[in-house]
Amino acid sequence: MAPLKSLEQEYPLIDSSFQAFCASHDIFSVEDFILHDIDVLIAFADKLSASRRLKQGINQLLSIIDALHQPLLNGLDLLQDVKRNKHVLSTGCQGIDALLGGGLREGQLTELVGPSSSGKTQVCLKSASTVAKMHMSSVVYLDTGNSFSPQRIAHFVGQSSGSVFNNQTDRGPLQKVLDSIICYSVFDIFQMFDVLHQLEINLRSEMLKSDHQVRLLIVDSISSLITPILGGSGPQGHALMISAGFLLKKLAHEQNLAVLVTNHMVGGDSGTSKPALGESWKSVPHIRLLLSRDWQSNICNFFILKHPSMASGRAASCTL
Amino acid sequence: MQMDDSKEVQRWIGVDENANQMLARVFMARPFLLPPPLHRVPLRFGNVVEILGPLPSAKTHILIQVPISMWNEVEYGGLDHLVVFVDLDCRFDIMRLSEMLNHRIAEAGNRDHDETLYNLCMSRFLYVHCYNSFEFLQTLKTLHYRLQKEKEAHGVNSFLLMIDSIGAFHWVDRSSTFLPLRESCRKTLFPQRVSEAVVQEIKKLIQVHSMLIVATKATIFVDRYSTASSEAKCLPSERFSKNVTGNDQHIQYREYMPSAWQSFVTHRILSILLRAIMKTDRSICWNGCCRD
Repeated sequence: MAPLKSLEQEYPLIDSSFQAFCASHDIFSVEDFILHDIDVLIAFADKLSASRRLKQGINQLLSIIDALHQPLLNGLDLLQDVKRNKHVLSTGCQGIDALLGGGLREGQLTELVGPSSSGKTQVCLKSASTVAKMHMSSVVYLDTGNSFSPQRIAHFVGQSSGSVFNNQTDRGPLQKVLDSIICYSVFDIFQMFDVLHQLEINLRSEMLKSDHQVRLLIVDSISSLITPILGGSGPQGHALMISAGFLLKKLAHEQNLAVLVTNHMVGGDSGTSKPALGESWKSVPHIRLLLSRDWQSNICNFFILKHPSMASGRAASCTL
Repeated sequence: MQMDDSKEVQRWIGVDENANQMLARVFMARPFLLPPPLHRVPLRFGNVVEILGPLPSAKTHILIQVPISMWNEVEYGGLDHLVVFVDLDCRFDIMRLSEMLNHRIAEAGNRDHDETLYNLCMSRFLYVHCYNSFEFLQTLKTLHYRLQKEKEAHGVNSFLLMIDSIGAFHWVDRSSTFLPLRESCRKTLFPQRVSEAVVQEIKKLIQVHSMLIVATKATIFVDRYSTASSEAKCLPSERFSKNVTGNDQHIQYREYMPSAWQSFVTHRILSILLRAIMKTDRSICWNGCCRD
C-alpha cells in the first residue's frame, strides 16, 4: 500500500496540511492509518481549526480502504461460487481419486507428504498428464529438483490411450499434452515468488480467454525451496514460508486453480521421520496426504492426515 | 412539569414483567450455545472465546458447529443471530457447512421447511477472507457499517463473530517489524501494534453490536518431546498400534499472541484430538476446560 504522499495527486483532500496532521500522529502511510484508532484521530481533528477539511480527508482515506478489502459474501453466494467454479480434477491415480472423492478440488491446496521415492513426483507427473489430457487444460509445473520427466508423461499418456509413441502419426495427442504442461525450473523461493506473481498477473489478464485455461499448479517439491531459508533465530524464514502459502492459496481461490505441492520427510527425534515442513506449515494446506510405497508389490499407499471434511486416517492404495 | 416527573417516577418503579415472563424472556434470549460437551460453558454477549489446539485438532470443525447448533435452536431464537466468519487461514470449505447444515435439518425432521430453512441459515452466514493483517484490520474497520446494513436487511440484532485462526499472520507480522525504516524509531513492535489495533476494533464492535467472539488459535510452538509434533512420523500401521494412552494430554504450547489479545480473551478452550478415536468415523472429540 501507498504512502500518503503518493495519494496526493489522485485525491486532493489528502493535501499537505492533512499529511502534516497525520504525521503529527505518526501516520505516514495507509498502513499506519489502518493501525490507528480512527475515533481518536477524529477527536483530535475536532480540536483543530480546519477540522471539517481534516475529517473529510479521514473519510476519503476510509473510503480508499473500503474499496480495497475483500467482499462480505453470504453462504449461498459462496456455495454458488464453489459449484460453478471449483471443479474436481481427476489425478489419474485411482487411489487418490477414490480417497478424495474424485480428485483435486480447484481452490484447494493439496499436499503430498512422503519419504524419498514414495511416489510423490510420480503422482505429480500423473496428475499433470491426466489434467492436461482429460480436462484439456493447462498445467503449470514448478520443478525444483530437475525431476520433471517428459518421458514419464509420454508413458502415462500412452498408457491411458493404449498407443505406441515411436512413430510420427501418433504424436498428436502427446504433443498436445506436452504443449499444455508449462514447466519452470525453480531453485529458490524468490524465483518461485517471481513465477507465481507473474502467473497471477497473466491469469488475471487472461481471465476471459477460457479455451485453454490453467487449472492445475504443481510445486514439486515446495519443501526443498523452503527448508534452506528456515532456521536461524530470525522469523524471516517462517514469514517467507507463510507468505508463500498464502500466495498459493490466493491463486487457488481467485484463479480457481487446484494446487498440488510435495513435502519430503526428514529424520526426527528418536529415529522416526517427519515432514520437512512442520508445525507452522500445517496451517497452509487444505488436504495433507501421506504416501508410502510397498517395495515388493510396487503399490503406493495413500493416507489422509488432514482433510477439511473427511476424517483423517482413511487410506487407499494403487499402483503407479 | 411536576406531573410529568411523577409519572416518570411511577413508570420507573412500576412492574415491567412478572417472574414468569422474565424467565420466559431469559430462556428466549439464551444467547449462544457451543456444541456439546462445551454447552456447559456459560456465555453471554461480549465474551471472547478462544479455541486453542495443535493442528489438526478439529478447531475449525468446532467453530463451524457453533452456528449449526445455534440455528438448530429455532424456538429459542437461534435464527436471530447473524454469523460473520472471518477466515484468516483461507481454508474454509463451504461444502462442509452445507453438508452439516443439511444433516442437521434432516435430523430435526421437519421436511416441509427444509429448503426455506436451509436458505435462511445459509444467507445468515457471512464470510470474508483476508490474506494479511492489514486486510484483517480493514475488514474490522469497515465491519460496523456492513453489519449495520445486514442488520436492517435481515432484521436481526446480534452477531456471532468467528475468526479462524487468530495467529495466522504471526510469522509475517513478526518479520515485518524490521521492514520500514520509520518503524525503527517507534516504541512498540509491529505484531503488538497489529494485535492492539485488532483488539481495539473488536472492542468498538462489541460496544455497538451485541456480539459473541469465537476465535481459533493454532499452537505453532509445540514442545519438542510431546508426541503431537511428530504426528506423521511413522507409517499408518505403526501409528495405530501405538499405545494411545501416551502423553497426548500433556501437550506443551507456548503463547505467541501479544498480551493485548491474551488479556482480551475471556474463555479459553483447549482442543486435543485423541489419536485413539481417529480411526472411527466419528473422529472428533475434545476435552473442554475453561478459564473465566
